[in-house]
Amino acid sequence: MHPRKLVPLLIPLLCGMAGLVAASSHMDAPLITLDDAANTTDVYAFVSGTPEQKFLTLALGVYPFEEPGIGPNKFNFDEKVLYELHVALGNDLAAGRATISYQFRFETRYKNQATILQSYLGVIQDVDDANQNLTQTYTVKKVDRRGRGRSTTLGTGIVPPNNQGIATPEYNTNAGEGPARDGVASAAQLDRYTAQTIFTLRDGYRVFCGQREDGFYADIQAIFDLLRLRGAGQARDSQGGFNIHMIAIQVPVAELGGDLQVAGVYATTSRPRVTLRSSGGPAYSSPFVQVGRQGNPLFCEGLVAIQDKDLYNRTKPTRDAALFRRYAETPELASLLNLLVLMPPIPGIETQRTDISAIFIPDLIKVDLSTDRARFAGGGPSHPTNPDDPGFSRLSIFGGDVLPSPLSGGNVAGGWPNGRRFGDDVVDIAVTALISDLRVNPPIIRGPAGDNVDRNDAVYNKVFPYAATPMNGRNHPHH
Amino acid sequence: MNRSLSLVALLALLGCAAEKNDPAPAAAPLVDPCAAALASLPGTTPQDREIARVQEEARQARDPSPLLERLGWLLVARARSSGDEGFYPLARQSALCLLRRRPESFEARLLDGHVLHQMHRFREAEEVAKRLVRERGGPFDFGLLGDAQMEQGRVAEAIGSYQRMLDLKPCLQSMSRAAHVCWLKGDRTRALELIRMAAGAGSRRDPESLAWVHTRRSLWELEAGSETEALAAAAEALSLVPDHAPALLARGRVLLGAGRDTEAIAALRPAADQRPLPEYLWTLAEALRSAHRIEEAERVEAELLRSGAAADPRTFALFLASTGRDAAEAVALARAELANRADVFTHDALAWALAAAGRLEEARPHAERALSEGTREARLLYHAGALAAAGGRREDARRLLLEAAALQRLLLPSERADLERRRAVL
Repeated sequence: MHPRKLVPLLIPLLCGMAGLVAASSHMDAPLITLDDAANTTDVYAFVSGTPEQKFLTLALGVYPFEEPGIGPNKFNFDEKVLYELHVALGNDLAAGRATISYQFRFETRYKNQATILQSYLGVIQDVDDANQNLTQTYTVKKVDRRGRGRSTTLGTGIVPPNNQGIATPEYNTNAGEGPARDGVASAAQLDRYTAQTIFTLRDGYRVFCGQREDGFYADIQAIFDLLRLRGAGQARDSQGGFNIHMIAIQVPVAELGGDLQVAGVYATTSRPRVTLRSSGGPAYSSPFVQVGRQGNPLFCEGLVAIQDKDLYNRTKPTRDAALFRRYAETPELASLLNLLVLMPPIPGIETQRTDISAIFIPDLIKVDLSTDRARFAGGGPSHPTNPDDPGFSRLSIFGGDVLPSPLSGGNVAGGWPNGRRFGDDVVDIAVTALISDLRVNPPIIRGPAGDNVDRNDAVYNKVFPYAATPMNGRNHPHH
Repeated sequence: MNRSLSLVALLALLGCAAEKNDPAPAAAPLVDPCAAALASLPGTTPQDREIARVQEEARQARDPSPLLERLGWLLVARARSSGDEGFYPLARQSALCLLRRRPESFEARLLDGHVLHQMHRFREAEEVAKRLVRERGGPFDFGLLGDAQMEQGRVAEAIGSYQRMLDLKPCLQSMSRAAHVCWLKGDRTRALELIRMAAGAGSRRDPESLAWVHTRRSLWELEAGSETEALAAAAEALSLVPDHAPALLARGRVLLGAGRDTEAIAALRPAADQRPLPEYLWTLAEALRSAHRIEEAERVEAELLRSGAAADPRTFALFLASTGRDAAEAVALARAELANRADVFTHDALAWALAAAGRLEEARPHAERALSEGTREARLLYHAGALAAAGGRREDARRLLLEAAALQRLLLPSERADLERRRAVL
């Protein structure tokens, strides 16, 4: 099977009010586009840990296209935003309803306000030392809707400093002058700041919140440039060199009721409701208004039409079947592939794609909790100190990366769409799935097809928090 | 030929109506809106180049619809950054072209409504918005409706529309509108809270919107008594868009209020060069007079007298009335503006013009209407106090002028001087 190039997509460009700029992956929905602090980039969900202590690891990225080193005080979690990671279990999974929600709220304080040095008063040796001026802390709450919907505070944490360079040498090589350190294979090797900001909360939860390298990779520039794709060796990771802010939590699977089940995962961001009227208005059920939502990669970016992207962002997955199913069952991208690339066109891939809708509707990342832990990406198969786990494939099941599933009695994908790992090549996986036919048994697999960006620009960690070290503001690929 | 003149010439050639308050033509348009939207424009700024690029893509595309929409918003952004309102009719041509291709396009109608609003065709904008709300009900549809209602002085209705917008999407655009409502209703504390929230919901990738938010914050911080915060907010705006005219104006006003005339002029001059509108020219002229640079001030005032009536009739009416010039023209301009734009500021302008013309009894209801929403703005209070004094209502006058005095840093030097004179005789 010959690799096929990703075909031109209709570009979801500018929409909306004056001043909005072109959309791209990570900033796709027209009316969420420029609320960086509440704009989700990616959601990750996968099984980690050991059979004795198994976790469902969840991660949410926000702040797309964080330029390293630009205004160290500019990229912080927003105190006004409610960041949430949701897990659907049992009957809630098919309904798209959150069973348990993990809520993150941030606060900002300064050790010294009588200075222009907002973030760093000197070289930071340890997180929250005297030289870390702007410091964010956060509180994690669990809302468990099994039973009475109790809210429980799981604990608190501190956000490590953003990676500026010499001020934050522990992230970097050469005392802060060199590039950010590669990801590592063991917790003992983590940089000090990251290690110091992994917190164990009550009931065995572990959390990390802070700046990380953006682990998504694809040649988005070419894809959105009328799909004039670049060849191997020329294609570029458009997210390369950028950071994000990430919220990560390891949920003990025991907390979810055990591992013989599939969990659904999605994330939302919400801003406080603002009321102008002092009286006479409607009664509101929540003090927050959802402004962003993400489950599987690429659903909103690649399948939902422009006219409905904002609707997607402000609705819950419970409405996906009614509102967005058609985008999955009749994926426009498949039509474009047939129209523009495939010679001859592949019959039957444009409509009635129940296989695609099974992934995206409702838009939750479905994770089979019964498997062993996922295989993790490091720095590629041949990295000298942190290679990918044996058997890891960026193409997940299309690359032979499968895991035995006691729940299903067979094998399931080792990565997306069974969960989503750092390092999954979601663009290639999605396109390969679209041109294949997974509705039949055995499935017809065509491809793999892709954009010729086959790896991330940075080395992932194979330990929590998994995302790579944030790019050094002083020394990064954009220079 | 400067940019605005070249655009006007282009529009005249194409037969497009570029006037404000122009009713929708009954006859078919004289030109093809698509040809007008895609006609090449001069200019070398990055925005101009982006406009040219999108126009070229639209000419080549099999379906230029998304590009036409993008082009329309680029032209709107260009109008805002350049201060050249000639871009708005061109933006409207993009919308009309898109509507011709897709008559039911929500995106085209939102663009059209926004442009109509910017062209001060508020009733038409409201009709577009109402239909969008009825048929789609998106957050920006409610925002447009609220804007049109607000400009026509229907604040309660605007609050309802903005609330719907906020309920759907708390974002920079909705929160800044909420902030304005709070300020208008006299709740400056909440206005500042909301404008800060609006800034937090913005992005440096949309620097102009963020700069605008910080500019508003600058003036409200000054009202709240903090010159330092006001200058910091203006600086934040200018760090995002270095030549942002509204931010330069705000900075200039803060400095002028502090008696730092030379520094104020340094900010106001480039602002007025970019946007030779009455508000900018008047403020610059006052700063020059305050710095005893009378000849320069007179040149600026001459420019203001030449262009002010067409550029911004309301502010020009205030200028005429405040400087003891043609009160009759001031009344005529303000009254004409009121027919289209019945907000508190237009009522204030008419009240002041009528008072300048010696028509105090006619002025009084307009002065009362100007304060009816609870706005605690320096000029509104100063004018209302002056009218109360002139009408023999000394207690009202003392109260209003005292409140204006607390905010006098936001008044122009001549207004501050007049305020003090009036207080001294009470």
